[in-house]
Amino acid sequence: MTTDEPYRWLDAIANRREYIRDQLKGATPVFAFSRPEGILLLGVGTGQSKVFEVYDRQALAALGHPVDIEKIRQTIIEAAHREGFTRAPEDVTLRRLLNFSLGPALKAGFEQIFSAPLIVECVFAEIGVGSADDVLARVGFDGTYRFENGGVSVVHTEAADEAAATEWLRGQLSETLSLSEVSRLALAVWRALTAGKPFAAPEVGAALAAPLAAEGRTIEVALLERKGPSRVRYLPLSPAELV
Amino acid sequence: MNGDGDFLSLLPKSAFGSVSGEAKTAALEATTVFAFHYADGVIVAGDHRATAGNIVFSDRTEKILELDRHSLMAIAGSPSIAIEMARTLQTAFDFYRRSQLQPMSLAAKMRALSRLLHDNLPATLQGFGTVAPIFAGLDPATNRPSIFFYDPLGAQFEGVDYAGSGSGSGSIKSVLHFLEQWGGPKPREMTLAQAVVLANRLLMTAAEFDTATGGVDPLRNDFATIKLLGAAGVRTLSVAEQADFWRQSLS
Repeated sequence: MTTDEPYRWLDAIANRREYIRDQLKGATPVFAFSRPEGILLLGVGTGQSKVFEVYDRQALAALGHPVDIEKIRQTIIEAAHREGFTRAPEDVTLRRLLNFSLGPALKAGFEQIFSAPLIVECVFAEIGVGSADDVLARVGFDGTYRFENGGVSVVHTEAADEAAATEWLRGQLSETLSLSEVSRLALAVWRALTAGKPFAAPEVGAALAAPLAAEGRTIEVALLERKGPSRVRYLPLSPAELV
Repeated sequence: MNGDGDFLSLLPKSAFGSVSGEAKTAALEATTVFAFHYADGVIVAGDHRATAGNIVFSDRTEKILELDRHSLMAIAGSPSIAIEMARTLQTAFDFYRRSQLQPMSLAAKMRALSRLLHDNLPATLQGFGTVAPIFAGLDPATNRPSIFFYDPLGAQFEGVDYAGSGSGSGSIKSVLHFLEQWGGPKPREMTLAQAVVLANRLLMTAAEFDTATGGVDPLRNDFATIKLLGAAGVRTLSVAEQADFWRQSLS
């Protein structure tokens, strides 16, 4: 096939999209919340990590094929460190990394129809001075990305469910909720999305972590601290203390 | 020729130089830094002075640099090269931890600094780029902090009790040796408050005998730069905390 066969190319792209969505089925959601204390990232895995440190003020939560998550992770970590070393850590921003490094690479990878596609959906987070300066960027497998404005980003394989979960969480969240309460809300939504049930706030004192542990799943939580003594703001948190 | 048998101090001089006097351009140097064990970990301290010959170039130099949450480097010698080494190590350690999803081992961190020093050999031989740092790192396996010092060519040595570098370090090492042998309490038995007061007194002592060492002046709220390394990682001690400890020592 050559590029002068547009119909076959469009067909191939559509097939590729369908194939990736099919491969993503079964992946479970990840979350990012902009909070007064910082940006909270949460994922539930079965041995493979889903939440990662990227640079001093940036982090990533992703779902999909572990090898493809690794490719994206390495790409953005290398770009961030090259930029930070060549210029300064303050020059490393998500907008620049996505606009000039990861976005074009993901799009080009998606459109190279003779190579294996990347099976990844993710959210990138960058901590700001205040909540209004936080950046949450929802990135799709085809290289499209959008910056979230409402302080919540849910990454899921079904777009409609993702939008509904995001909307529901925004309605539940308030400035006064603790990180523990936000984590519990995220786990409740995680359970609802994976079980295909309606969203409901967890009951006070309800054990959320124990059933997941029984299923062989581990909860991963990290915070990009808004204020801290170190230039590195990424802090893995103990799920046992939060939920 | 100064006849003290120190080959490194001989290197900057021309083999065919004048026998009648010094014809050396003063290079910028950072002095004085030291580290010693106290009861809860390692204390790393330094003055704020950078000099070029008999000129005080700056009295606000930051010489104790945090490389990551578990390692520190105290710099003595050429600040431009030492600071660039610290920046390279910071990026290397962070990059390794983030990309490999595990921290770099203490041995690898020490080697990385050793390699940078070795690569700096041409500048060292020319006499204007010498760096003789102190490195303090936490071993993730044992959670125990250790002190290492280096010669300008990259050889590393463990400072079992203490280490010092820079022009004022001679006096400081003498006092620390004395205290470790015959002191009460010995530095490694000291509380944080006692260790902080000792660190400031050591700098005052060094400044008494070395013009390149900027002393501290508690009356003007001017204290040493101090960072601590313990099981929880690196912590920077604020001026307010040092002032509190100093006041307690007077009461």
